[in-house]
Amino acid sequence: MKNEKRKPINKKKLTNHLTAYAFCAPWFIGFICFTLFPIVFMFAVSLTNRKLNGISNFVGFANYVNMVQSPTFWNSIKVTLFFTVVMMVVTTIWAVILAMLLNYKQKLNGIFQFCYFLPSVIPTVALAYTFRTIFGKEAGLLNAIISQLTAKNVMVNWLYDKRTIYLAVFFITLFTYNTGQMMLIFRSGLNDVPRELYEACDIDGASPFRKFFGITLPMISPIVLFNAVMGCISALNGSFALLYPLTGESGDPNGMTQVLSLLIYKEAFSNMKVGYACALSVVLFLIACGFGIGIFAVSKKLVYYEN
Amino acid sequence: MGRKKLLALLLSTAVVCGSLAGCGAKGTQKQEGSVAGSTESKAGESSKTDSAEAGKKVTIAVWNEPSKDEALNMYLQAGKATGIDVEVTVIPESDYSSKLNQMVSTGNDSVDIYVIWENDIANFAQVGGIIPLDDYLAKSTIKTDEFIDAVAKLSEGLGGTYGLPWCAATELLYYNQDMFDAAGIAYPTNDWSYADYKAAAEKLTKKAADGTTEVYGSTLPNTQTWWAGIGGAGDQVFDPAKGQMVIGDGAVSFVSDVAQMVKNGTMPEPSSDTADLFAAGKAAMSWQGSWNIGTYGGGLAFNWDIASIPTDKLKYNTLHTGFYSINAKSKNQDSAFKVIEYLMGEEGQAINSKASGNPSAIKSIAEKGAWKVESVTTIENWDAITDSLKAGVFGYTCLPSGVTNNAISEFNSAVLGQKTPEDAVKNASQYAKETIGY
Repeated sequence: MKNEKRKPINKKKLTNHLTAYAFCAPWFIGFICFTLFPIVFMFAVSLTNRKLNGISNFVGFANYVNMVQSPTFWNSIKVTLFFTVVMMVVTTIWAVILAMLLNYKQKLNGIFQFCYFLPSVIPTVALAYTFRTIFGKEAGLLNAIISQLTAKNVMVNWLYDKRTIYLAVFFITLFTYNTGQMMLIFRSGLNDVPRELYEACDIDGASPFRKFFGITLPMISPIVLFNAVMGCISALNGSFALLYPLTGESGDPNGMTQVLSLLIYKEAFSNMKVGYACALSVVLFLIACGFGIGIFAVSKKLVYYEN
Repeated sequence: MGRKKLLALLLSTAVVCGSLAGCGAKGTQKQEGSVAGSTESKAGESSKTDSAEAGKKVTIAVWNEPSKDEALNMYLQAGKATGIDVEVTVIPESDYSSKLNQMVSTGNDSVDIYVIWENDIANFAQVGGIIPLDDYLAKSTIKTDEFIDAVAKLSEGLGGTYGLPWCAATELLYYNQDMFDAAGIAYPTNDWSYADYKAAAEKLTKKAADGTTEVYGSTLPNTQTWWAGIGGAGDQVFDPAKGQMVIGDGAVSFVSDVAQMVKNGTMPEPSSDTADLFAAGKAAMSWQGSWNIGTYGGGLAFNWDIASIPTDKLKYNTLHTGFYSINAKSKNQDSAFKVIEYLMGEEGQAINSKASGNPSAIKSIAEKGAWKVESVTTIENWDAITDSLKAGVFGYTCLPSGVTNNAISEFNSAVLGQKTPEDAVKNASQYAKETIGY
């Protein structure tokens, strides 16, 4: 009797569900094969002493123990955190400034936007090699220009002097793809800020700074959050392409630029320690998660959503 | 709805097939350009059929482009002589070792002959990535009993002969004769002491009115020659028994010397400059590998010559080579050995020497002097090469590149005054201990 009372299967509903799942399947398969599996595999390999030539034995958490005892690792963590935070802040602020400049109604705006964005489409590695030449000590273009302007023989060792290295590196980050992309996103966000809010400010006699901090920044805060997250991930993962050609795998000078991604490369491909490199990668993964969670937590208090 | 279902089904099938195709059957295709960043050149369109292997194709992995001059392209000549098509896969030097390690770990069969570096040969033999050549050598004309001693020693303990040295390169002192003449200083000789070198470097340095250096007495040691200085100052550099880096007082002494010379303006600071200051006429002397003889050729705008690296506490020189070895997964092992046999023979070795300026590791072939590069007319002291070979040992090249690069980064920091030479050497040793024996 119970069977008789059971609802008949809604064939149409089932078909709809299956169709939806089928449409989602390509993404799921891609996610499982190219994201989830590598993450799980990376963690599994981090528990072995796998070398690049394939030799591998289970060693438990030995890689993690060795890691926390290594001064190189702790230096790299310190540099990574510093580099990520500063790069995120510097590139975000620069992108906002550029977007606001471009937002002013003026002639040839398109050309300015093209010029600002042009360096961003140069591959990061090529950009880094170019700047390596520009920042050279003996034959660098920058020193030559300063020498001409000051009529003195200027020989600043930009990329090897501990006083100038961060200045040089963070300056170069302004020309990366990430900054250009942020600029375009900010620009579209600025266009969406209602004009009447600025008009009300003008009537009240608000200064440009008051308008920026009272109107512009709150209104584009969701975009700031998005760009901050993207900038943070880009700094963590993408800094390798910038720093490897600039300062080498050892993060010269004196390990001051040896971010975790450089150390991972060095351990995996120069020292052939794949297991250890995977353990470092797990730490990098956790740091990226930590930054993501941290930014979202802070954003609950700082980001303004209209709806 | 039917169209939607069909589309979804087609998309899903395409993704599954694509994924399976990407993951599967790695060795079934011929790997034309499969190595990232590699370029390939084809050699050996021979019609000779005097070999049983004639017509087969053999691929060899190397890190340097073969000579564009056909007569000096040993792979092309090997193809002509054996009747075997020799394909050359060039992998950039910076990635060479790691790519080969990946190929061995994945059982890649796209390359038949690897030219393996000193620090990889034992590992590759241990994991069975390359085959012992003893059976082939028993029936071969290759003069294995005439290898220089260092090569024979490096093969000890492997349980067989897994690789044959393609050359024996050394490190030399290059000097600008015109600058020596102008300063009235006698040319360096092969028995020059380290003190002679330092004194000459000081005299040859030219400074501007504001105190900056216009011409340096010597260039900074490069990634290779740092170790010649450290070995010369008395350190063992590499302990073959333990496979460890061994540096201490010698390294501290040499790093301190370099730091002092940089401070005096006799040597340039470590920097991001990529220009060759010696070739540009901005430095009077330079310690570099013997392979630069071929690179400079007759192309420098001044007269130059070579001498042995100056002797500090002892005469020390790092040997450099690569070992021809056969991939254990190769389906053309017999053909591969035929090609190696040619390359290790008198003709192949002579062509290699003429193209690169590096002597053969086979004594009787090296003695014939094919390495005296014809295009270089200013060198008179060719004895510097034989003298350097006598002092040659396999040193830092047997260590992982991450360890040696890290050490040089530490030395550079000391030279720039960012840490003491003692701390730099201690840090480099500690990192080597952490890394080696992993």
